[in-house]
Parts: sequence; structure tokens; C-alpha cells
Amino acid sequence: MKRTLRRSTLILIFTIAFIAGIGFFTAELIFNAKAWVDQPYNAHISGSGGLAQAGKITDRNGNVLAQTVNGERVYNSDADVRSALLHTVGDNSLNISTAVQSKYRSKLTGYSLIWGLNMPQSMRSSHDIGLTVDANACKAAYEVMNSYGKRGACVVYNYQTGEVICSVSTYSYDPQAPPEITEENEKDYDGVYLDNVVSSTYTPGSIFKIVTAAAAIENIPDLFERTWYCEGSEEIGGHPVNCVDGESHGEINFQEAMEHSCNIVFAKLAVELGSEKMNATAQRMGINSSFSFDDISTPKGHYDTSNATENELAWSGAGQYDVKVNPMQMAVICGAIANGGKGVCPGYIKSGSGNLLKEIGVTGNQTFDLLNQTTAQTLGSVMPQYEFGGMSIRAKTGTAEVGDEKQPNGWFIGYSTSQDAPLAFACVIEDAGFGNTYARPVVEAAMAASAQAIRGH
Amino acid sequence: MDMSVLFDAGVVGLRMLMPLYAIVIVYQCYAAMRRRRRPEKPLVSLYNPKSGGMIPVVFWENAIGRSKSSDIVINDMTVSKNHCVLLRRSKGWFISDVGSAAGTFVNGVKIRGRAQVLIDDIIRVGNTEYQLKRGDDFNSPLRSSWFFSKVSDKPAIQAWKLMLMITLFHLFMAVEAMFWNDGTNVFSPFILFGALAAVEWGFFSVSYFALRRVNFELESLGLFLTGIGVMMLVRQVERSAYVQLIAAGLGIALYCVIIKFIEDPDRADKIRFPVMIIAVLMLASSIVLGRVTNGAANWVYIGSISFQPSEFVKTLFIFIGASALDKLQTKRNLIEFIIFSVVCVGLLALMSDFGAALIFFVTFLLVVFMRSGDIKTVLLPVGSVAAAFVALRFFAERINFIGDRFNYVLNRFKAYRHVWDYANEAAGYQQVRVLTYIASGGLFGVGIGNGYFKQYFASESDLVFALVAEEMGVIVAIVAALAVALLMIYARAIATRSRSTFYSISSCCAAGLLVVQLSLNIFGATDILPLTGVTFPFVSCGGSSLISCWGLLAFIKAADERTYSMKR
Repeated sequence: MKRTLRRSTLILIFTIAFIAGIGFFTAELIFNAKAWVDQPYNAHISGSGGLAQAGKITDRNGNVLAQTVNGERVYNSDADVRSALLHTVGDNSLNISTAVQSKYRSKLTGYSLIWGLNMPQSMRSSHDIGLTVDANACKAAYEVMNSYGKRGACVVYNYQTGEVICSVSTYSYDPQAPPEITEENEKDYDGVYLDNVVSSTYTPGSIFKIVTAAAAIENIPDLFERTWYCEGSEEIGGHPVNCVDGESHGEINFQEAMEHSCNIVFAKLAVELGSEKMNATAQRMGINSSFSFDDISTPKGHYDTSNATENELAWSGAGQYDVKVNPMQMAVICGAIANGGKGVCPGYIKSGSGNLLKEIGVTGNQTFDLLNQTTAQTLGSVMPQYEFGGMSIRAKTGTAEVGDEKQPNGWFIGYSTSQDAPLAFACVIEDAGFGNTYARPVVEAAMAASAQAIRGH
Repeated sequence: MDMSVLFDAGVVGLRMLMPLYAIVIVYQCYAAMRRRRRPEKPLVSLYNPKSGGMIPVVFWENAIGRSKSSDIVINDMTVSKNHCVLLRRSKGWFISDVGSAAGTFVNGVKIRGRAQVLIDDIIRVGNTEYQLKRGDDFNSPLRSSWFFSKVSDKPAIQAWKLMLMITLFHLFMAVEAMFWNDGTNVFSPFILFGALAAVEWGFFSVSYFALRRVNFELESLGLFLTGIGVMMLVRQVERSAYVQLIAAGLGIALYCVIIKFIEDPDRADKIRFPVMIIAVLMLASSIVLGRVTNGAANWVYIGSISFQPSEFVKTLFIFIGASALDKLQTKRNLIEFIIFSVVCVGLLALMSDFGAALIFFVTFLLVVFMRSGDIKTVLLPVGSVAAAFVALRFFAERINFIGDRFNYVLNRFKAYRHVWDYANEAAGYQQVRVLTYIASGGLFGVGIGNGYFKQYFASESDLVFALVAEEMGVIVAIVAALAVALLMIYARAIATRSRSTFYSISSCCAAGLLVVQLSLNIFGATDILPLTGVTFPFVSCGGSSLISCWGLLAFIKAADERTYSMKR
């Protein structure tokens, strides 16, 4: 009998392991309950009923973007503001997973692990959230983007504080009157639940030349003494590389190559630098990594030429091949160039009632070293100059070929050098055309309004 | 004040009361198990005339030998390591030689097989002689195990009071279900409650008046959990609640039959082989008659009644695995049992019922270890199953019959600990919803009938942990789980006080099986383990499963010596 008792210890271990497992589960529950609750399929909080007790959401100036009046969720009075901020604020559904009303719905409605989600209203404490965005800036950008009827993304953020001032994603719709998406109209709403600013990646085209340029500045000592001759098209690695429309730039130096966005020069630079150095710089600048903030992780971009042919490596220098980047990521990189190499993590949350900020875990200005200081300064100085909204701008256009008989993606990324408006931006319009034609007008509208928002006039 | 506000406050108050109440009930059940024990006194004693020493015999079955792990250790080189077994049966004391080198003698006569010994008889093992004396002749005190340290004749709680508490808990569940958000069928929970109370008190009356048993705490625990399962169904699939209640009645009947059937451990040994045949035939029947339901072909339909033979075979499996001590030490080879287990697990894998196959396999390991104490005998099958798994993984796409189901299992492994990345795919769909709705319930739940998890497939069976947690709160769900898990502590505490190793092995293995099943159920659903597809003992909706749980509980009850020896 003693042996039986001793052997039964093995089974006792199962019980102890079970109890340990329950302990582990309890710990997981305590730490993650809020994240577990905020799910689009959670019938307790989805639908308008889920927001019946939710707090207010305001922009940086206290303009109400969403609030609950008599149990009904009411959004901003301006239809364009509503559509412009759809992806940042969210709607009654939980379809846009990165929107504040989805991510923090349980916090807005006052969820607590103790009371769960079906307690009488008197026992709940709802929270208000103040956002960093400016309703006017978003509206300005949205109006231009909406006039194209194309999908796209535009983001403007303060590269010193990380505050996102303008963030617009199209397609969009009015959260006050969400469309019923059917088979007939689904084309008009393709990808509408995705916030393109933080959740999409695109072929960069010429804007990627800032990465190639950074690699060249760091690795080629006589870069600025060199000249190249551009005939508009040239065979590299057995296949042609050509400039836009085959335009010949003649004899040009590095600065001019950047201004004219000469593909051939950057293709040659990429080949000369080689796959290893190009990859190292792309890696350092965060192309292959994801930025995390406000419970969002941006998708990783993509740059990997380790298996590329010489011609593919050449094209990758001009942002073609299989290179992919995310708009928010590009804005952060531009901010880093302006900031002497330091990228500041963006954020959408400015304030919250009670201890909401702590609960959400808003950490403030996390920074990353994306470039060394001299490279950043040199790179900034070769970026083409613009002037709009009362600011001096350094920026790069891009027109990324995507094939499939689609029009190119038009890009415009850059930053302001004006002290009183430290803003970086990135804008992409899909299936459109030249970046200068499509993306730049959006940025000009967004930047002017954003500068006004932070200057206060 | 508005009346509805008062009602609201009352319902919320009730919801908050329930977890505390559940804790008290489970505590009382276990406290009652510790009481009303005979004091730690030797049953008989062995007097050594040469040395004048006296050895207390405290167990019903005692291994005698030179081995240090024997119950009675004799330091004599002429004694074999496992020499003989001294055991008590209803007809008195017996001694059985278990293949010793020198033989065992009673009053100078060498014994063959089992021989009766009477008080004052001389037993000779090797060169050592003992005289059998009464237990009272040994008068030094013995130390009790911690579980029985509070020996007292007074019960911790009167059996009927405990039952009343449990019935009241189920009544409160009915009240909670009455105030559900839907507002329809307000009184239907009370009809169900009435039927449930009838089953509970009917069983109590049979045990108390007809069988004249003094203790009812194990049954109370079973009824408490069964009742939770039944009452949860009233706001989900009301019809299933009644089916579940009928199954509970059948399970209770099976429980009584098993306890009666294994009253004599020697008789149990004789019919082991026929039972094995029955078990294999039952499993084989689901392959021949079975229909594929949810990917596994483990259901048999006879007319409008459907059942899962594999659930019943669990009970038989435990029965077949256990053995009395003298048989255990003579029949050392486990070949018979191993072949039987391989056939069982093989048949289950063929049915693609991997959850059940895993439970059988772990139970098999437990039985083998409990019988042999040899870790090597345990590691060998673990190794071969791991190899089989790798092989299956390799050939999965080529074996179409079980390939699909097996690929599902592999998918589940892929999503393990990453379920949020598979929230809308089969591999993670259930788990993320389980987690979401458990968290949505909070500590006290949203109220019976107010949950949304009940709309999901398998929420009342494999995922019932989340259903209970969402509607009654995570505390009640965890208390129900602990109520099952702690059965092992109880089974172990009574292990040396059982009337035979047949009972202690079967009760530990039955408790072990329940714990393993419980772990797979809860941890599979919450992504702590990469497996799903088994039921929560007693609580999950499923007639076969509930009946088999009561069958398993019978082994634990039988291991308590009071079940047979103590009458009111």
C-alpha cells in the first residue's frame, strides 16, 4: 500500500501542474483582460449599444469628434471631418481595428476585470480621450484626397514631440451614416476598414532614393566630386534601367541627380554599394522593422536584395524591385533626417481622463537612432527644397510603378525646417500618377493647416 | 424608488454572492471528507516471539519483504524482496505468497496461493516467525496523515445541510436566469430546477435510507457540478438541459452499480478479461456503426439515441487497469494491459478522436506507473507515441482517412500561443473567443442567459469553461475546476486506507483521468495547451461524458473504506 501511495505522487504532480496552470491563466487574464475584451466580434461592446456609456473623444483643440448623447453616439458636426478622421476615431462597429473607438472601446466604456461588461451604468466609469490630431488639418487633407476618388494615406507629425497632427486614409465613409457594403458597391469601399497610414505598405519608387543616398553618403567618400552621364536608359546587369519617360539628364552630379530623381545614377550607386551595404542601411533606417505606438504596430516594410540579380539590385536603388514601405514609417524617417538622425515615435493620444494614459501605456517620446548625425545633415542638404504654408521644406517626390496595368503610386515625403513648425510628412495616392501632381497638393493643404494648428494662428 | 432599480441591485448582489457561495460549498465538501474517520489504529499486529517486538499492521493489504518499500520490512537475508502479502477480506485475514524463494509457512505448513490466517497463528517468512495478534495488542499511538489529522466522529457538516446548500445554489442560478435580459420564459428555470432538485434529493434519499451510507460529500460534489451544467443550459438549449438531467440520473445509477459490482476486489480480478473484450468491442462498434460528427467518428446512433462508446470505455479502462496487491506482485508482466491499451488508443486514433486517445494514453501511463512503479515502462510508450506523431505528421497528407482531422491538429499546434494571429481562422477562432468572453464576464459574470458566448458552437461542451466564466464569473468557473482537480488530493489521502490496492489504484487513476481531461478542456480552450476537443468533467453538456464521469467517481467512492464498512 505504501508503494501505491508513493507512486500516486506522479498523479498528484498532474494536479499540482493543473493548479499552476490555473495560476498562469489567472495572471494572463489579469494582465490581458482589456486587450482580450476589445475585439470586433465581442457582442457585448460592438454595435451602437457598446458605446452607450462611452466617453468623449476630442481633437487637440478640444473639438468633439465623438460623444454619446442620450445613449446615441454622435460624431463631429462637419461631414468632412467625420470622414477624414474615420480611421483615427472609428465608428460604432469595431471593423477598423486600429481606430481609438475599437482599440480602447472597453476603456471608453469603463470596462474593469472585476465588473465585466454587463454591470449597471451607475457602477461604470467611462473615460474621455483627447487626441493629438487637428480636425481642420485632417479635413484639409481629406478634401484634396477625396477629390481624386483614389485610395491613399497622408500623415503629418511633429518630429520633436511625436504628436500626429494630421492622419487621413482613403477610401473613407461617414461614421454617422455608415454604408451598407454590398456586392454592388464593394469596389468603392475596397480596403476601407484599413487605416492606410498605419496598416498598409506600398512600393516606394523614388522616395526610396533617400535610403540609397544615405548609404552612398556613408560609404562613398568622393560622392560629391563625381559626375555621371545619363542617357535616359542604360543596360545594367543585362537589362535596361531607365529614367521616367526615358528622359535624358545629361551630365549630372549627385545633388542634381537627387533633384531630377535620376534613376540611372541611383541604380548605379546601388550596384556599386552592393547588396550588403544597401541592406545594412535599409535595416538601420528601420525599413524592415515595425514601429509600435498606441497599441498599433505598423507593418514592416521590405528591403532585401540578398537574392537579387544585378539588374534587380540596380532597380532597388530607385525603390522598385520588391521594395515596400509604410507611410507612417516614411514620415518617421523624414523626421529623423530633420532631427539629426533621431526618429521620434509617433502617437495619437494627447490626454485622457483619470489614469487612462497609464492604463493605455502611453509612454511619450521614445526615440530610435535611424541615421548618424552627419549623414542626416548631409542627406537633408541634398534633398530638393520647396516652400509652402510659410515653411521651408525639404522633400522628395516619388512615382512608383506597380504594374498590373495600374497607374503609379504618387508619393511625397519630407519635412519642414522651420523652427516653429517641426513637421514631417508622408503622403501616397494609389493608382494615380506623378507624386508631384497628386501627393504634393494633399501635403500642401495638410501642412498649411497643421502648421497653423501648432503655431496657433 | 423605481422597482426595477431594486431588482437590478438585487440581481447584481446575487451575482456577487454566487462565487463566495461556491467557494463555501466546495470547501464544505472537502472538509466533510476529512471527518468521521476511524482513528489511526492497527487492524492487527504481528508479534515476533524471538525479539519480543510488535509490528502494527495498518493497511488492508500489506506487502511483506526485505525491500525497503514494503509495508512490513523484514531485515532477514532469507526473506525475498517481495515475499508475501498479508491481506484482509470480508472472511478474515489471508496471506498470499508472491513467488518468494524460501516460501511462506502458516503453522509450519507451506502455503500455495492464498491461505487464511487466524489470530495466534504462526506465520514464517524465511527464518523469521510472527504470531498474528489483535490490533488492540499494539498500544503505541500512530501518526495520521495531515488530511485526517482532525479525526472526529462529528461530521464537519450534516450531509443533508450540505445538500440543502447545494440545492439552494442551484435555486439561485434559477433566480439569476429568471432575470435575464431577454425577458421571455421567466419561469422556465424553476421547472428545470424542480426536476434537478428531485434528482438530487432522490439520490440523497436512496443513499441515506436505502443504502444507509453515512457520508454523501463526494456525491454532493458531483451533484453540485452536474447541477451547474444543467442550469447553465436553461438559457441556451433548454431541451438539452432535460437530456442532461436524464443522463445525470443514468450516471448516478451507474455509480451505484459500479460500487456494488466492485465490492469484492477478487471477483473484479476474475472478470477482467471479459470486460476487456467488451471494451474493445464497444470501441470497435463506433468504427463500424459510427458516424462522423465534427470530424471524429466517435458517435454511435441507435434510433434517436446517440452516444459515445469511448466515454464508457474510460470507466472500463480504469477497472481493467487496477488490481489487488497480491495479484499485482505475482503477475508482474503488463503485456496483457499494454496490448489492450494499444488497441484502445489505436482504435481512437482511427476514429480521429485524438482528444480521447490522448486521455486514454495518459491514463494508460498512470495505470502502468501505479502498477509497476517503473519509470522506464512509462518512458517507452511515451517515446513510441512521439515517434508515431512525427510519422503521422510526415504522412498526414497521404492518409486521407485521418489526414484531415490530423491536419487540423497540426494547424492548432501552429497557432499555439499565437491565437490572436489566427482570430478568424479555424486554428485560433475558438480560443480567442473563449478569452474575450471570459474577460467580458469579469469576476461575477454577466448573469445566466446574458452572455453571447452561448451562440458559439461547442460553447456548452468543449468550451463550457468560458460559458460559465462569462455568465457566472471567472471565480465560479475556477472553483468548479478546482473542485474536480482536488479529487486527486482526496484520492491520494485515502490511498493507504483503501480496502485493497485495487481501489487505491483505480481511484487515483480515475482522479488522474479527470484532472487530465479537465486540464485539456480548460487549457486547450484558453491556449495554454495546444489541444481541444474534450469535455469538462460533470459540467459539460453531453450525456455519455456525464455518465462516464459518475462512473469514474464511483471508483473514488469505492476507495473510501467507509463506503463498504460503515453503515448508519
